[in-house]
Amino acid sequence: MNMQNFVNSVKSKGVVVFAFNTHIDYVAIADQTCRLIEKNLGLPITLVTDHDAVPVFVYDRIVRVDPQGHTFRSEDVNLQWRNFGRYLAYELSPYDETIVLDTDYLVLDDSLLKLFETNWDYRLMHHNRDENGVSYEQMGETSLPFVWATVVLFRKSPRAEMLFELVGKIQRNYEYYRLLYNIRERNYRNDYAFAIANIIMSGYHVNEQQGIPWRMFTVSSPIERIVATDTQIHVHLADKALVLPHQNIHVMDKAYLQTDNFRELVNELTI
Amino acid sequence: MSTEQLLSQIRQATSYQQNKQILREKIQTDLHFVHNGGLFKVTPELLAFVATWPIDELYLEDTYQNPVEIDRQVFLVQAQQHYQKVMNRWHDEHAELRKLRKV
Repeated sequence: MNMQNFVNSVKSKGVVVFAFNTHIDYVAIADQTCRLIEKNLGLPITLVTDHDAVPVFVYDRIVRVDPQGHTFRSEDVNLQWRNFGRYLAYELSPYDETIVLDTDYLVLDDSLLKLFETNWDYRLMHHNRDENGVSYEQMGETSLPFVWATVVLFRKSPRAEMLFELVGKIQRNYEYYRLLYNIRERNYRNDYAFAIANIIMSGYHVNEQQGIPWRMFTVSSPIERIVATDTQIHVHLADKALVLPHQNIHVMDKAYLQTDNFRELVNELTI
Repeated sequence: MSTEQLLSQIRQATSYQQNKQILREKIQTDLHFVHNGGLFKVTPELLAFVATWPIDELYLEDTYQNPVEIDRQVFLVQAQQHYQKVMNRWHDEHAELRKLRKV
């Protein structure tokens, strides 16, 4: 065992998940997706949630905070988005090395574990593709590429601490940064805050080559049901089916993640 | 065939080309392996280079653009085993996809 591996082996590792209920029961979703994380990564999981949540999954720790967020209009409906406070992950994580995951990220393989064995302060997911191969990567037509805050890895280190402090600063002054970076959307997104913080941290350089070196796979269409076999995941959409290998999947359809079919799928995959 | 049956069949149709592309992307992820603190994507070019390099101690550039010290013999065995395992799985899963064509 060389020194690098020895140092890595004595550091605590874990996953931090944020879940605050809105019109979507994110805590119930986290209860299911964390079963997949536990099965495929074998790491302890800390849930960051509010004081009212009643989680069912046996988490390593539950950290309760006052939720913060904002309301925005979508298709003439006011929606609540409690996505503020992600920058607190650095402070709230009890682990030396942490993977911060969104609740809608289904961990079906152990590829993220490889990254722990390399040297870094933080790693971000820069690229994505969905079932149509499309990847939206700019914060605005004349802006810079964004990252996917769906998956963020960090180590307790001054540089990682600075990244999260910057994300907090960007959140608090979002209107200023939105104008500065020509961001098209008015509502705050962690994807943009992490992207801007990373650009600043990298000397005003996008620095993609230091990110997670593969693409995230997202199913962006509404899902009717998912069926698992030993080697495949069949995702049935309204007009077609996708046949995937067992791989991590970012699911945009939050309604599906609250269905009985999803719970049955997790039961099957975690036996 | 009734309209309902036809609709049901259309819903279950799957695109071989689309699934093939998704599987390939997953395999590109899996081809990465860690050696001595460096992350490497095993490719035929990397294997050929390491196999033919005449000195046993060398530095290789990893995915993160860092020079990583490697023992050629040890690295080669690990990389070959990793490549073989992932490519075998790709072949098996691709064969299953071909059989499906339409779910």
